[in-house]
Amino acid sequence: MTPDEREVRRALEARSGEVSPEFRARLSGALQDGRPSTNAMPAAAAAMAIILALGSVGILLMARGANRVSHQGPVIVTSPSPTPTIVQKVPIYVPLFNQLSAPSGNVVWAWVADGRLYRSTDFGNTWEERSQPPVPRVGNADFSFLNAQEGWFLIGGANQPQCFEGRAQIWHTTDGAATWRKVPIDGWNLSYTSDSVGGETCKQGISFTDPLHGYISAWGANRHPIIYRTLDGGLNWAGATLTDPPGFVTQTGTYLRPGPVSAFGSTLLVYAWSEQPGEWMPASVYIFRATDRGSTWSYLAKSFDIAFHTVTFLTTSRWLQIGNQASDQETTDAGKTWHPFTSDYVAAAGLPGVIAFGDELVGYSTNRGGIYRTVDGGAHWVKVKTPGT
Amino acid sequence: MRLERAKAGDGHAFDELLAPVLDPAFRLAMTMLKDRGAAEDAVQEAALKAWRALGRFRTGAELRPWFLAIVANECRSARRGRWWRVLRFGDAGQLGGAVASDRSWAERIDLGAALDRLPRHHLLALTLYYHLDLPMDEVARVLGCSSGGARQRVHRALAALRPAMAVEVDA
Repeated sequence: MTPDEREVRRALEARSGEVSPEFRARLSGALQDGRPSTNAMPAAAAAMAIILALGSVGILLMARGANRVSHQGPVIVTSPSPTPTIVQKVPIYVPLFNQLSAPSGNVVWAWVADGRLYRSTDFGNTWEERSQPPVPRVGNADFSFLNAQEGWFLIGGANQPQCFEGRAQIWHTTDGAATWRKVPIDGWNLSYTSDSVGGETCKQGISFTDPLHGYISAWGANRHPIIYRTLDGGLNWAGATLTDPPGFVTQTGTYLRPGPVSAFGSTLLVYAWSEQPGEWMPASVYIFRATDRGSTWSYLAKSFDIAFHTVTFLTTSRWLQIGNQASDQETTDAGKTWHPFTSDYVAAAGLPGVIAFGDELVGYSTNRGGIYRTVDGGAHWVKVKTPGT
Repeated sequence: MRLERAKAGDGHAFDELLAPVLDPAFRLAMTMLKDRGAAEDAVQEAALKAWRALGRFRTGAELRPWFLAIVANECRSARRGRWWRVLRFGDAGQLGGAVASDRSWAERIDLGAALDRLPRHHLLALTLYYHLDLPMDEVARVLGCSSGGARQRVHRALAALRPAMAVEVDA
């Protein structure tokens, strides 16, 4: 039997259904409640504390239900305090984390947007809260740690291509984020302004490879991307341009947006995805390499998959594109060839999570409201203990 | 500007943006999950995640393929759970529409069973093209491939459906 298209349409129609007015109203209500915050880490802590205190089977069941959306309204506890007392019903579930830095296999830092900074030194099994830079609001931010003690925060200066966040800052800690010092930047105005090249540059993706050498990725809607580098711990910065790779021409509205720099000894790698008018998915993702501490960059390879913008570099030659199980890919020859890769990591709702590898085998990712860890180079991922609980 | 207001956190604006694409999104979720509650969960979660990610959405881009891609991934996540495998047969109401003849009734039941067994990426391609009637270039954007690639995927999905049908008949 070979069904014709009409039969296929009928069969699909039979599985389908209309949106109910009740659901429309419920969804509208959820949206009117406000944009879901990415800061639910204290909520997780609160939920656990209350659950333990009450010892209620019913609440336990509700808390279990909180790890996915329920049209019946799961219970999530929200509070700005690590010892919360406010329990609030919200009809949504949101991922807990949005930034990771893994300077080594066992040391990993997690930062919740607008929220809190946590550190683990035992592969994510236990976490302790650390302080974040003393600014009124840590908005768009990236951070990079060298180890359990020293790291940098890049705050602001990056949003969508308009980069309307305003002045950016760099903060530095050498005592495990107990205290922070604002870096007195010289030689490079980190504030968002139009520059002589044309168009503003958005800064995002800070990466330090040692106490002196660091990198920040920058892009603008009408220009080539720039990888800024410092040789003195962040005091002075100079930029190097990523030139157009083969087959790509930067022009108004069509440009490359770089990710953070990954360092492997003297080799630096960075990926950049194409942005073009009217498209939300990149046409291509390109990889660039520098072998002179970032003075000059050259095109190296093109990624296999465009479903997700990111490329995860595990070594100078082994890279992954995972999160979209149907097309997970691996290269072991620095992008010359790609082949299918089997991984049980599936990004939620088409939104790529942050993946950070501390070494060739141990990596961490944010996904589905938690942190996941792999110890086999990305093939298998397990959820680790939630920071703050 | 509605999009800018939504990006700034205006829930009403995002609700208005979403309204026109809610119906195809729900029909996609229903087709993929075959369960109204699960479909509502998937669409709701997709909506909230889309709102969170709206900052990455570029002015001038089409919302529908972007949102449908998020819904499709959410359905894929849901289908990984064990509960989705519970198939619901025997409910004539689910088949919908008038039954023209005993033969087409049987064929449709067989075809429904074949769709149940179809790999999710094939089911998604068929749903986007045959059920939501999206133009091929929009199917491509949801699937994250070229138009030619999308056309191939739809054809492969149909081809995959045929052996499943044959097995069903033989059985």
